[in-house]
Amino acid sequence: MKKILAFALFIGTLSASAQTARYKCMIQMNSYKGEPAYVVISLVNPQGGYEKTLSVLGPDKKWHNTLKEWHKFETKAKTQLNAITGASVNGGDRAMRTLEIDESKLNKGYKLRFESAVEEQKYYVKDVEIDVTPEALAERAEGTGYIRFVKLSKVQ
Amino acid sequence: MTLSVWRYAHLALAVVSSLFLLILSVTGVILAVGAVNEKAQPYRADNVGSVTLAQSLPVLSGVFPEITTLTVDHNRFVSIEGTDRDGNPINAYINPVNGAILGDVKPQSDFIQWNIALHRSLFLKETGRIIIGLVSFLLLLITLTGIVLIAKRQQGLRHFFARINKDFFSQYFHVVSGRLFLVPVLMLALTGTYLFMVRLGLTEAGSRPVSHTATAGAAPKAPADFPVFRNTRLTEVEKIEFPFMPDDPEEFYIVKLKDRELAVNQITGEVVQETRYPYSLVLEKLSLNLHTGRTSSVWAIILAFASLNILLFIYTGFDMTFRRSKTKIRNRHTADTAEYVVLAGSENGSTLAFAHQVHQQLLALGYTSFLTEMNRFTHFPEARHFLIFSSTYGLGTAPANAGNFEKLIAKFPHSQKVNYSVVGFGSKAYPDFCAYARHIDKELAGQPWASRYLDLHTVNDRSAEELTAWVKAWSEKSQCALATTPALYTTRVTGLKKFKVIEKTQVTEDNATFRVVLQPERRNPFRSGDLLAVYPANDGRERLYSIGKRDGNIQLMVKLHPGGLGSEFLYALEEGNRVAARIAVNKSFHFPVKAPAVVMIANGTGIAPFLGMISENRKRVPLSLYAGFRHNNALSHQYRSFADEEIAAGRLQRFETAFSREENACYVMDLICRDAAFFAGLLKNKGTIMICGSLAMQKDVEAVLNTLCMEKNGRGLHFYKEQGQVLSDCY
Repeated sequence: MKKILAFALFIGTLSASAQTARYKCMIQMNSYKGEPAYVVISLVNPQGGYEKTLSVLGPDKKWHNTLKEWHKFETKAKTQLNAITGASVNGGDRAMRTLEIDESKLNKGYKLRFESAVEEQKYYVKDVEIDVTPEALAERAEGTGYIRFVKLSKVQ
Repeated sequence: MTLSVWRYAHLALAVVSSLFLLILSVTGVILAVGAVNEKAQPYRADNVGSVTLAQSLPVLSGVFPEITTLTVDHNRFVSIEGTDRDGNPINAYINPVNGAILGDVKPQSDFIQWNIALHRSLFLKETGRIIIGLVSFLLLLITLTGIVLIAKRQQGLRHFFARINKDFFSQYFHVVSGRLFLVPVLMLALTGTYLFMVRLGLTEAGSRPVSHTATAGAAPKAPADFPVFRNTRLTEVEKIEFPFMPDDPEEFYIVKLKDRELAVNQITGEVVQETRYPYSLVLEKLSLNLHTGRTSSVWAIILAFASLNILLFIYTGFDMTFRRSKTKIRNRHTADTAEYVVLAGSENGSTLAFAHQVHQQLLALGYTSFLTEMNRFTHFPEARHFLIFSSTYGLGTAPANAGNFEKLIAKFPHSQKVNYSVVGFGSKAYPDFCAYARHIDKELAGQPWASRYLDLHTVNDRSAEELTAWVKAWSEKSQCALATTPALYTTRVTGLKKFKVIEKTQVTEDNATFRVVLQPERRNPFRSGDLLAVYPANDGRERLYSIGKRDGNIQLMVKLHPGGLGSEFLYALEEGNRVAARIAVNKSFHFPVKAPAVVMIANGTGIAPFLGMISENRKRVPLSLYAGFRHNNALSHQYRSFADEEIAAGRLQRFETAFSREENACYVMDLICRDAAFFAGLLKNKGTIMICGSLAMQKDVEAVLNTLCMEKNGRGLHFYKEQGQVLSDCY
């Protein structure tokens, strides 16, 4: 029984890694005034609920609660964030991240959500949202808040 | 007390901001140490200073298949973000010449981050930032008012770095380190304030774009051949953002330099756009560098000490304030009724403490005494005596509360004759010792209604002994019995040392005098004739005993007075006990170095220093000891046998005793009269007379000596006193 389970797990991880695509992601910020922005990139399911946290820009857990909606999800999901957390982004700067997206989610109504917050300033739940389709992922997506635009590029 | 506006401002600002400054300076020290520590990391490549972008970028591109960002931080550590050959994301410090990885880029430790957050915002976000900004601004004002205070104290900027007199530790430290850390503290305050203004957006100024026209059809080049890359050194760069997609002419290299930003076409290498940063941004970076010391370890260390110093400023500043406010003036009588007016000119309150002591005694003796500051001089209709105690501020000018005194004495002439006496306090460390006291002494002499009662007395470094000299002179002339124990006029206890009791004798029915022998626990130079000050109640009340030095130990002869503070304290000691005391050097009563012969005159326990001096008389200077006691008892027998031994050893020539309560009552004065020719001859031949014991005895002895000197030598005792041939230590 145990052997079968281990085998199943092995197959499972193998197939999961086979189906994961890597995307290089660039976030270009607007030149706003204020503290560096905290940005979280999440995968959102067709129902609009958070599915997975892909990347966090903002190292200090103390301020994670400023990203209210995501924080609600995260306090329950308790993702290991260390590996996907990096520095926050200053106004006018750009940030580069590598995202891993499960290819099975393509064309299924999933979205990439970029939400952003700046200390003592407005919080944008949907600063940028990109449909998880090959076409949308190849295009430049304009931001509505602190983000000017987002560009993705598939890593071969 | 009248403090100048500047001092009030300095104090008020400090009071308001001290708690925050406390937090800021503690975290500041930690962060400065952190900055030094950060610079010590081994991530700096050796030759980073001379490498150009054209040399470095192609190498790096060869090593790392993808680079998104290259950063050169304030430590000149070069780091890149990108992916390595295996496609794993990488964020590491590298050697820009060969692409070797030197270490991972790690975020600052939680501890440092915590300190930064506290230092910047007190964990209160925007509110905290505003508080910190205001405190920085207050620190700036404190520093500026501090500069004014030093300049005022030193009589102008010319003397800014002249010597500073040491009144007490806090005052000295505050002023000296204030001058020393003036520049770093000012810098911290200034840059801190500026950074706060930046945060509030008070320094808005737009970037200025400089357009470059692209040459149509320019030939593609390799990055190694880009002119802009060839001309730009890595150290001028803060950050390079690499094109997101290769081969796309719409994607540029964004090269961020210290003062501008360049967009470089990734195919042709032409500068497409240049944006100059506003000066405010350049200034902000400079402020940040100066504020944190992140670009220079030396500066960071200086800042650490400056921060530490702010902590000490807070402590010493408040200590000074508390000292100043300790002596408050309370008067029982009014200016209209006072016969005795005590006027004090005091800078930090210590002179006032002396004046207060005299004032209290006059009150205790039933006189109508009124104590006030010199600047409160007014018309005193009943005044007969002005007692003026004044220090001198800086280089010979009036202390803080005496600045208007000259004008006031001219403004309020008195109809009755008033006697005045001036006592100047100061330090001989200054060239203008008591200059202000001298000045007002002269000024008053010029007033028709004022008559100089005593010549100016000066007191060096708060010497209680020198003050008692004035007290003695004044009380003698005015018949006011002011206490003349120096102890009363000693303001504070410092330099206490431990002594071990190694011997103490018992008193008997017919002998109330006992002997205590104390051994210094540490090497502690002293001589016979010096004074040992003990503090029986630990409250600043001091009791002084003449020291006789015997075998390196301190021998005291003490008469037990029932209820006597000092004698009962010493009598209660037991062998092996330890006692804290201070040795007061009493230069004026050291054994003379050159005297051809010495006569020692003592009564009662006044014999103590002489016992030491005799046994120390290795040179065998001809010595005579005249001593008066009440009874011929066991103790006097001991003295006799001691003297006999010393006579046998050649250290003493004669020992004469007088007993006042025995048959054939006799006083030392009688012995002196008997040996008049001997005394006259001694003084004539430059011999020295030393007197130790009660003041009454001293007075009588001096009177007798004066008469016999006039008779035999034709000169009064005064002459020999001036020659330093008559030394006395009486109480």
